[in-house]
Amino acid sequence: MITAHSLTKRYGTTTAVDNLTFEVLPGLVTGFLGPNGSGKSTTMRMIMGLDVPDSGSALIGGKPYCDLAWPLREVGGLLDAKAFHSARTARNHLRWLALSNDIPLRRVDEVLDQVGLSSVAGRRVGKFSLGMSQRLGIAATLLGDPGVLLFDEPVNGLDPEGIRWVRHFLRGLAAQGRTVFVSSHLISEMSQTADRLVVIGRGRLIAETSVTDFARRSGGAAVRLVTPDVAEFTAALIAMGATVGNAADGSLTVDGLRAPPIGDLAARQGLRVHELTPIAASLEDAFMALTQDEVEFRPSTMAGTLAVGEEE
Amino acid sequence: MSPAIQSPPGHYRLTHVVKSEVVKMLTVPSTFITFGLTVVAGLLVTALVTHNVMHQGPGFDPTQQALTGLIVAGLTGGVFGGLLITAEYSSGTIRATLAATPKRPVLLAAKIGVTALTTMLFCEVMSFVSFFLGQAILSGRGAPTASLGSPGAIRAVLMTGVFIALLSLMAFGFGLICRSTAGAIAAFAGVVFVLPLVMHAISRSAVPYLPTNILTNSIMATVNQVPPGAISVNGPLSPAVGLSLMVLYAAVTLAVGSVLFVKRDA
Repeated sequence: MITAHSLTKRYGTTTAVDNLTFEVLPGLVTGFLGPNGSGKSTTMRMIMGLDVPDSGSALIGGKPYCDLAWPLREVGGLLDAKAFHSARTARNHLRWLALSNDIPLRRVDEVLDQVGLSSVAGRRVGKFSLGMSQRLGIAATLLGDPGVLLFDEPVNGLDPEGIRWVRHFLRGLAAQGRTVFVSSHLISEMSQTADRLVVIGRGRLIAETSVTDFARRSGGAAVRLVTPDVAEFTAALIAMGATVGNAADGSLTVDGLRAPPIGDLAARQGLRVHELTPIAASLEDAFMALTQDEVEFRPSTMAGTLAVGEEE
Repeated sequence: MSPAIQSPPGHYRLTHVVKSEVVKMLTVPSTFITFGLTVVAGLLVTALVTHNVMHQGPGFDPTQQALTGLIVAGLTGGVFGGLLITAEYSSGTIRATLAATPKRPVLLAAKIGVTALTTMLFCEVMSFVSFFLGQAILSGRGAPTASLGSPGAIRAVLMTGVFIALLSLMAFGFGLICRSTAGAIAAFAGVVFVLPLVMHAISRSAVPYLPTNILTNSIMATVNQVPPGAISVNGPLSPAVGLSLMVLYAAVTLAVGSVLFVKRDA
């Protein structure tokens, strides 16, 4: 489990991370979501003990990173896809890591096999593609079989196959009961990978919630309606208190009414319906709305409204 | 979750970090390039100097002549020491290193130990090889020679190796301060090779205190030495004083670098 408490980091006059408090629970993939430059990496670096917070704390299983007895056996962190000496081979990179934490050297070949890099174990990592580097970084996090794993933008620059592989891998780790914390600026990616979300904007907590709840609470549901009887339908819908918008493709977007009453209305008034589709709130829209306007969405109020449906 | 491995009791220690640092050092080509270059260029310089020896008068010092090639080791040893830390920053490996062993003083102790021991062992061997090579060539040219039994010879040969290890530690300190290879090597080369030229021009009295001058005139030299207890003005320092001063230089550089390393965000 990872706990951040009132975590704050300033660079000069800029506050990169501002009084951030959240929990990352075991057995789940927790997405760490925020626009570029919102303080995700800084937060992860503070969790890993690379940066020292100006105030507050980040603890792993109740301990600061620096006090872990065997760091690589407790935490696996991938903060930077290319953090290897380019002239060293993949196997040698993992060897020195293993030795530093007294990890049996058989683990080196085991994790290389796990990420599918066995055949290039003896190759210099400078020759690796981004996808291979990413896999080697993941292999390094698994070396000590840790219960807590952190990944900073692990799918950045990967092809669709690589993205799918990482996604599957992260879910597998959580299914084994590990604590998995993954940052991303892509909500669509997180919606497919994560169970819970910690959303930040400009270093401040915006929401700590489940993915489904985030979508449900962040935007109202609308209904798409295709009908040849546009004028009659629009008038009737407005009379029922809905807001009707005209989409570019000629369909209507109905806000404030769900699909069943719209269908009933059509039956009552003999209006033709060619298509009637509930539109789930777009996660992107929700994310944009929450992160773009810091004045409108103060963390204190948003945390209050959004944390209600928290899943354990 | 079924654990793939069991954690041993206790916690990671200096010995684990040292093992890890040794593997790191031995798995990058730059280690072998700098040491290989030192052997080739260093011995070549010794060979050329002793082969072309001109002055064989009363002040002639066959020990010093035969150790000339170790000045090359001073430069490459510095590059080696600097690279041991700056390569971690340029490649980003430092973050993996600190994630594996977050106690920075322990990490530093391991790195400093590995740097010091490696360069010292290597340079001691280099020093002896250069000495014997130089004497063989001098003898072939009919010039006066020295043996390890000659006054001050064994002292000069041994101290030269230690001195170069100290130079590489100073470069390691510059690496900790600058965190970039270019910066560290520029700082090191500046102090060791450029500063003497500048000081010659502006303040000759400071020249004997410079690392390069200590190395050639106090450490490698066996004749024209200041007698113990005598005070020389503008003359070379005694070997003991010279070596102590170099210990101080290395210690100060390392101390500043270490404080920054422990305090700064990685």
